[in-house]
Amino acid sequence: MRTRTTRQEAERSVSTSTTGTPAGPAARRGRLRLDGVRKVLGGKEVVSAVDLETEPGEFLTLLGPSGCGKTTTLNMVAGHLGADGGVIEVDGTDVTGTPPHRRSMGMVFQSYALFPHMTIADNVAFGLRMRKVPAAERRRQVEEVLEMVGLDGMAGRHPRQLSGGQQQRAALARALVIQPDLLLLDEPFSNLDAQLRVRLREEVVALQRRIGTTTILVTHDQEEALAVSDRIAVMADGVIHQLDRPREIYLRPATDFVAQFIGEVNALDGTATGGGACEVAGARVGATAVGDPPAQGAGVRVYVRPEVVRIQADGDGLRGTVRETRFLGSRIRCVVATGAGEVTAALPFDAQVPAMGEEVTCAWRPSDASMAVR
Amino acid sequence: MTRLTRVLGTGFAVLVGLFLIAPVVVTVASSLTTTSYVTFPPKGITLRWYAEVFGKPEFLSSFVLSAGVALAAAAISAVVGLAGGLAIHRYRFPGRGALEAVLSSAFAVPTIVLGIGLLQWFAQMGLASSPFTLLLAHLVLTVPYAVRLVLAGLAGLDRSAEKAAAGLGAPPFLVFWHVTLPAVRGALIGGAFFAFITSFDDLTVALFVVTTDLQTLPVRIFNYMQYDYDPTVTAIGTLMVLFAVVAVVVIERFVGVARLFGADTDHK
Ligand SMILES: Nc1ncnc2c1ncn2[C@@H]1O[C@H](COP(=O)(O)OP(=O)(O)OP(=O)(O)O)[C@@H](O)[C@H]1O
Ligand SMILES: [Mg+2]
Repeated sequence: MRTRTTRQEAERSVSTSTTGTPAGPAARRGRLRLDGVRKVLGGKEVVSAVDLETEPGEFLTLLGPSGCGKTTTLNMVAGHLGADGGVIEVDGTDVTGTPPHRRSMGMVFQSYALFPHMTIADNVAFGLRMRKVPAAERRRQVEEVLEMVGLDGMAGRHPRQLSGGQQQRAALARALVIQPDLLLLDEPFSNLDAQLRVRLREEVVALQRRIGTTTILVTHDQEEALAVSDRIAVMADGVIHQLDRPREIYLRPATDFVAQFIGEVNALDGTATGGGACEVAGARVGATAVGDPPAQGAGVRVYVRPEVVRIQADGDGLRGTVRETRFLGSRIRCVVATGAGEVTAALPFDAQVPAMGEEVTCAWRPSDASMAVR
Repeated sequence: MTRLTRVLGTGFAVLVGLFLIAPVVVTVASSLTTTSYVTFPPKGITLRWYAEVFGKPEFLSSFVLSAGVALAAAAISAVVGLAGGLAIHRYRFPGRGALEAVLSSAFAVPTIVLGIGLLQWFAQMGLASSPFTLLLAHLVLTVPYAVRLVLAGLAGLDRSAEKAAAGLGAPPFLVFWHVTLPAVRGALIGGAFFAFITSFDDLTVALFVVTTDLQTLPVRIFNYMQYDYDPTVTAIGTLMVLFAVVAVVVIERFVGVARLFGADTDHK
């Protein structure tokens, strides 16, 4: 611990700017690894064997419905909760038993959790005070970080004299000023109104890209997760269902849960024919297997997003009859009744719209759909 | 409409103020009378009765006893209130529910019943009457209040703030010092203030617990008045009011009375 503090202080005095640069000290730190981490609360296993590894500088999101164990996982990473099993490592150091004040993690809470009796400047300076940074240097860094989050001029105010968005910026400044190994964000935007939520989240992403601190965001908002993350871990009932880049998660869900939780999906039952292909209602369709390719003859489910479905007059694909077309502004929604059930397509607004009752083929690129063993 | 309510509100405040201040005014004024009986308005003006008070050492020793016990009650109530409040708020332990129930129903017990009960109890435990037993008796009155105030303070504390402090590098003691304690500061000061006043003021419980040579100031005054109802009593009353004023000013100086009642601390 001693050596770590000294190292950080050394780095701080070397770098001219606290905020660092993409190639600065923060960028090289912050490789988090969870290996089989478990937690039992109230007799129930709320986090089961979670494995996870981040790249330094990565923006990783834990996405899942309410009560799936996201906050519990984050609290174990921060050290506020002990793990009942497994190992938590930061940059190769086992921190599983390390108390929170000896881990270098900046956490931002849904409730902001600013210290109500301190000014914004004192709130932000708190972590520096705990690190015994001299007063003059402290003031300089606080000023700098407040400017970075757009709160210059608010230093002397108390938290309750700030709006929700400003409080959240202050909380972010307080977490960033200590140059943490990891930045942990627990639903930081959910108490803000929709517009501010989007704006602040864009700012946070830009800031994170600039300073390169490995960041873990917890959210139940799939749109937010898709918009900000380098990778997303989709969680349900204490288990990570899939961990991948937003595009993969969206286009190639690995499980029913992931497919349904993130947007609309066509789930079609079929049979694997081997070699990354399968048969649905007598038609050969392509889909990418997530993980090991299913054995020939295995029952599989194919997940296709409406946006990737093309409607053609003929050609290879799933044949069916157009049941419904509806103009939705940016998209045209088209429902086709096929042998495998209804397939919904979201066509671009300028697409050729098929007529009702027309016989058509639904097709998609194999790389835009996934299949998983049922 | 708002003007009417404002006028009514001001009128009400003035009435309440008068009602509270009138007895004080009567006491102070009648302590200056030249007559040897208490009368209002006073006839003539003299400080003779104050000289009387200071000529009676038993009043001074009673004052010292009362003030000492009250200070001790204030300090102990704050400390025990903090510890008890934290224990109930933070930990699940057997008997926790029962403890909370006892603490919240303690107010409901009439002080006279408490006095009789304690008299009996102390006698059976073989505890001789002493400032210590008196203090114990007062703590029974004041600790539950302090605990409840602390609990209310803790309820207003966001546990995430403590986590945030820990995450920023504060070891448990500093988390307590910088985050938890400030949240219950008002509660502690309020609890101590309440304990001091309750103890200093108490007659009922003290009547049962004290002996003839260990009398608190209220008991001394009460006993004195049964035989001599002269202006010495009102002179003491005036001195007690002065003492209270000094105490309030001192506390105001150090912490600000406004903060006791949860008022906004910001002037800027
Ligand atoms: N102290 C506790 N005792 C017992 N069960 C708990 C405790 N804390 C949390 N749980 C349970 O653990 C599960 C996971 O909780 P957690 O707070 O991690 O969920 P979450 O994914 O963060 O949900 P949300 O999106 O609502 O914040 C929930 O079912 C919750 O009821
Ligand atoms: Mg949560």
